[in-house]
Amino acid sequence: MMSISKCIFSVILICTFSFGKAQNSKSDSIPTPKTERYGLRVGVDAYRLVLSVINDNYKGLEFAGDYRISKNYYLAAEIGNENKTTNEDRLNYTTKGSYLKVGFDYNLYENWLDMENLIYLGLRVGSSTFSQELNSYKIYNQNPYFGEAPSTISDKKYNGLNAVWVEFLLGVKAEVISNFYAGFSFRMNYLMSNKEPNGFENLYIPGFNRTYSGKFGVGMNYTITYFIPIYKKKLTPKK
Amino acid sequence: MKKIWLFSWLIVLVLGCEKDDICTEPNTTPRLIIDFYDSQNTSVLKQVANLEVIGEGANSTLSFNLVTRIELPLKTNENFTQYSLNINSTSSTLSNIDILRFNYTRNDIYVSRGCGFKTNFELNLFEGIVKSNPADDEYWIENIELIKNKIDSEDDVHIKMYF
Repeated sequence: MMSISKCIFSVILICTFSFGKAQNSKSDSIPTPKTERYGLRVGVDAYRLVLSVINDNYKGLEFAGDYRISKNYYLAAEIGNENKTTNEDRLNYTTKGSYLKVGFDYNLYENWLDMENLIYLGLRVGSSTFSQELNSYKIYNQNPYFGEAPSTISDKKYNGLNAVWVEFLLGVKAEVISNFYAGFSFRMNYLMSNKEPNGFENLYIPGFNRTYSGKFGVGMNYTITYFIPIYKKKLTPKK
Repeated sequence: MKKIWLFSWLIVLVLGCEKDDICTEPNTTPRLIIDFYDSQNTSVLKQVANLEVIGEGANSTLSFNLVTRIELPLKTNENFTQYSLNINSTSSTLSNIDILRFNYTRNDIYVSRGCGFKTNFELNLFEGIVKSNPADDEYWIENIELIKNKIDSEDDVHIKMYF
């Protein structure tokens, strides 16, 4: 189900991206003064919104924003909250918590004329405070002589957990209609610190996503953002 | 340039994924380890012949022949497990069944995502092992000695039986 929604979203975004390009290219022939707009872009992660609607075991919301500080650099942040029940082969657990990610984006994309699209690399420091709730588990037995025992119901709660990580990201933002941007980013996360519960493990961390046996993780978002122009800056002409 | 970036990102993403959904931990729920000794000479290990063991509630037989050690799984969802131990089971005259009931407390311990939990057991110090005899004949197990009541590994011997 998740992969289908990912796929649909990718297609929509690729379409909107190319649409945005086509629309902007109409202004190719108009000679414009070389200025660039600076301002704040704020919005929401549509992927987490859609997932919250279609998946009964997930409720999540993420706000994303960036502020342009130079030609190619943007200060960027995401703030979010997740409530996810993960049902695995041997474990069922609920993770609840909030997270904040702060960092910057570097735009690699050389825009034509007044286009303001981005293909960017980014870096974030993420931190999350959360709780884990173990709902049920199975006992592993190499010698299931009496057959495998049914899942054991548990109500263990582990509060006051936290984690800090860094994210390396690659993303795209395209102006779909005037001042509205659609974008997506893929993120690779590296866990710096992780306060594990006593007698269980942080198998999911809000903002970081699923953990693996090592310190790496992966993440993504699809943002719909609105650009609030604050000031304009003249471009220094290039030779 | 952009293609190289995208490509290297893809490689990093793939390397970031590690398969940890499969249980590879060798030490999960331990079995009860029993060593057999000669009742005439209590320091000498003694082999059991054609020992057939059936757990109450199980639908298969555990067979042991010419060994001095047996391993019995314990139930992970109840606080007792009962076994019938039939020695010399192939002989109509020497066959003898003793019943053992193990009473214990359980402790479930987290192992990993792939394994889930394991259960360690602790045999009750009072009536942890109860011997009974269905046919009302002589017990073939003469004496039972509890060596280690905490069952958390298969490396230790938990019970010695003399016959």
